[in-house]
Amino acid sequence: MREQLSWQPDFEQLVEEHQSMVFSLAWRMTGDRGLAEELAQDVLLELDRNLHKLGSADHVRFWLRQVTLHRSADALRRKRTKAASLGTDVWVELEERHVLVEPFEMEDESPLGVRIEELLATLPESQRAALVLRYQEDLTPEEIAVTLKTPLATVKSHLQRGLKLLRVKASQTLKEYVRGT
Amino acid sequence: MERKDMARKELSEQELAEFEQKLKFAMQHRAAPLGLKQRVLARARERRQTGHGRLWIMQRLAASIVLAAMFGGFAVYRQAEERAAEQKRGEQAREQVLTAMRITSRTLNRVNERLAETGR
Repeated sequence: MREQLSWQPDFEQLVEEHQSMVFSLAWRMTGDRGLAEELAQDVLLELDRNLHKLGSADHVRFWLRQVTLHRSADALRRKRTKAASLGTDVWVELEERHVLVEPFEMEDESPLGVRIEELLATLPESQRAALVLRYQEDLTPEEIAVTLKTPLATVKSHLQRGLKLLRVKASQTLKEYVRGT
Repeated sequence: MERKDMARKELSEQELAEFEQKLKFAMQHRAAPLGLKQRVLARARERRQTGHGRLWIMQRLAASIVLAAMFGGFAVYRQAEERAAEQKRGEQAREQVLTAMRITSRTLNRVNERLAETGR
């Protein structure tokens, strides 16, 4: 309550603080860098419209994660609907698009880091969301359950299966894992 | 056989643990695209100005409506007042005519009486 009364949010500062998080979350959920940039912009603008409803820095973080995930899921759904109506395979489209994207920030990137968005895009959405919240945002399974409004047992299952599946995909794609180094 | 299975399981768990560590490193935040913050701030400013502009227009419109209602009400009141005054003037004129007619009638009666007296 005290924090609520004394908390005077500065929108510019919040954008500076959270833009990377929102962008990374959107990119790893959609697998599309360009789309992630659009989504990040929309989410941050929505933050400006709703800032008066948010009572603390933690609340802002929670809100941003939730809204980014929802917007990403909506965007993926629209893509699937569009692809279905056109008769194309959206996952093939995603992979092709990702191959065309110029790699950047290559310094100090592990082989896994370079391809992480591509690998995540091959997972079911629910597992992807759980893994991103766990390993990007460092949330506990309990916090993930609250963010996703999903039972804890389901979250743990998504994390376990998602991790194993991602490991398998990585071994199929990256030399580092094929060699077992 | 069981030891081999156990070893395979442990390796697999060890591999997963190592993979988790690598995953944490790989999933660090990506830097936001250049200019994202500036674009967001510019659009937020624009939205606020448009919102303020609309508010300004609505306020002016509301004030104009109130003023128009006030002036209109005053005009109606003045018209009603004038009509009442006119009606009063009309009644006054009517009274004057009636009075004149009464005077004329009395005068005529007196004249008739005199004539009647002199005629005898």
